[in-house]
Amino acid sequence: MIVINSIEMKTNIIGIFKEEGLLISALRIIRDKNIEIAEVFSPYPIHEVFKIMNRKTKFQIATLLFAALGLVLSYFGLYWTSVISYPLVYGGKPYHSIPSFIIICFVTTICVAVILSVVAFFIRSRLYPGKKPTIIDYRITDNAFVILINTNPGMSSADIKTINSLMMENGAVEVIEN
Amino acid sequence: MYDVKIRGPLIKGNKTYHQITEDISRSLEQRPGYWWYITLLLCFGALAFGGWALFMTLNDGIGTFGLNNTVGWGWDIICFVWWIGIGHAGTAFSIFLLILGQKWRTSINRAAEAMTVAAVICAGFFPVIHMGRPFLAFFMFPYPNDRGPLWLNFNSPLTWDVAAISTYLTASAIFFYVGMIPDLATIRDRTASKVKKAVFNFFSLGWVGSSKDWLRFETLSWLLAGLMAALVVSVHSIVAMDFASSILPGWHTTIFPPYFVVGAILSGFSMVLTIMIIIRKIYKLEDYITDSHINAICKILVFISLIMGTAYTTELFIAWYSNNEYELFTFFHNRVTGEYKTAFWIMLTSNAIIPQLFWFSKVRKKLLIVFLISVIINIGMWFERYVIVITSLTKDLLPSNWADYEPTNVEVGLFIGTLGFFVMYLLLFFKFLPMIAISEVKGVLKHNDSNK
Repeated sequence: MIVINSIEMKTNIIGIFKEEGLLISALRIIRDKNIEIAEVFSPYPIHEVFKIMNRKTKFQIATLLFAALGLVLSYFGLYWTSVISYPLVYGGKPYHSIPSFIIICFVTTICVAVILSVVAFFIRSRLYPGKKPTIIDYRITDNAFVILINTNPGMSSADIKTINSLMMENGAVEVIEN
Repeated sequence: MYDVKIRGPLIKGNKTYHQITEDISRSLEQRPGYWWYITLLLCFGALAFGGWALFMTLNDGIGTFGLNNTVGWGWDIICFVWWIGIGHAGTAFSIFLLILGQKWRTSINRAAEAMTVAAVICAGFFPVIHMGRPFLAFFMFPYPNDRGPLWLNFNSPLTWDVAAISTYLTASAIFFYVGMIPDLATIRDRTASKVKKAVFNFFSLGWVGSSKDWLRFETLSWLLAGLMAALVVSVHSIVAMDFASSILPGWHTTIFPPYFVVGAILSGFSMVLTIMIIIRKIYKLEDYITDSHINAICKILVFISLIMGTAYTTELFIAWYSNNEYELFTFFHNRVTGEYKTAFWIMLTSNAIIPQLFWFSKVRKKLLIVFLISVIINIGMWFERYVIVITSLTKDLLPSNWADYEPTNVEVGLFIGTLGFFVMYLLLFFKFLPMIAISEVKGVLKHNDSNK
């Protein structure tokens, strides 16, 4: 099942679970034992996992900044075209016709924020077309919940055995070392 | 807000995660039935008719339309507004229910989003064709040109429309695609076909489902939903302003933006219902698109239809209350009565009266009746745009301007062509992409009382 072992060239311990509840309780126990968990993989997002793994994101701030950029760009674009580059009177309205600018600014702000947020997501998560995925287990996108622990040279074989048994005792259906 | 306990299990049949993957991927892995090929053939027929109409329009110009000096907008604008309305609800459905935390959306949102993209493409086609010289469509966008440089008239709602609809198409397509990435990875990981694996690998962007990626993915979905909720409301408001900012009786009203937005949601939700009933039956997805889902959409339709009824009545009331002779004439002698009364009454009956049948749970449980009503609403919404566009244009403020309008085969052909494109797109979507959001359905499984 294991295709690529590429997580920083370390050996890995992979615990495979079939239930979300079992995964979460095992994660808590492993974390409480001060064992470093490299990553958790699941077929869908699980909020408890984010909490246990202390995952946080600043995406909201990034999107807000992108939206601000979109607003500024669109407003100055409209101002420059309507007032500076080619001033032309339409229906007696002033060149700098703010009410008319509002809607385009609003829409363009959203457009820029959406596009840049998605691009930022792709860059941050290193997703790009044709990327060869580092598949820990093919079943992750189907029905497997996976805890990945990287072993390091400081770990004794007894430590590794403890981790193995911790996973098995707490509901893992399979533990793989590679 | 609905509660799972009130609503019943979101997914029936005690499914496991693997079964969900199997059930939803089945349509991608099996040969489609005869109905699929026959419908596709019909679509090609419709597209051929549309192709001929397109050729006539490009070759001879929009003189081939039934338009005249008085009626400058005909079927093309009616169909444009109709399609954009349908295109609205897909995203509205997905986004508003996401923001409101409605878990039952997960079985339906993917098909609704797919439908949106197709409907907005169909909608965008009409204004481009109406230009007469579609190859100059890029004139609609501001770009550094050698005509001065002469920029667009940013005071015109038509220019706002260009910005709004192109943004809406871009954002809807992005939302549809990004939401699908984890499911594309699921197909990538289970398919045996090398070609399929390569294609799905390309488009799934190397997704592996790590917690970091899921957190960002979910945050992004919420952010896009928040941004697009504002967009959904604004786009159809802007379409309404195309009409409302003119001085024609029947168009020059402040009720238009909200009235158009609600109308769009009504037509889109009914199209979602039509499509869901079909795919549920054909692909045997009754465990995912349950009676409870159909019931919930019907209840939403009753609510929206009531708002539509209020809007129609308000228009009539304001025309009467204003005592403005032009408004009175337009509404009472050219809509309620007069030569367009049939269209008006079809509109009123289909959109405001017939959906009231959904008050009765017996009606909501009869799928055939629900299906028929959803189709009737779609037809009614087309007539609504017909009534708005044609009645006001044919008889404006100056009787010497009055003229009749009748569509030509070319206009009808363009509409049939877009219908063919829409159905063909959906058929291809059903065959080649997961029509239900696999990962999202798995995520709501734990809310299933029957499962946990």
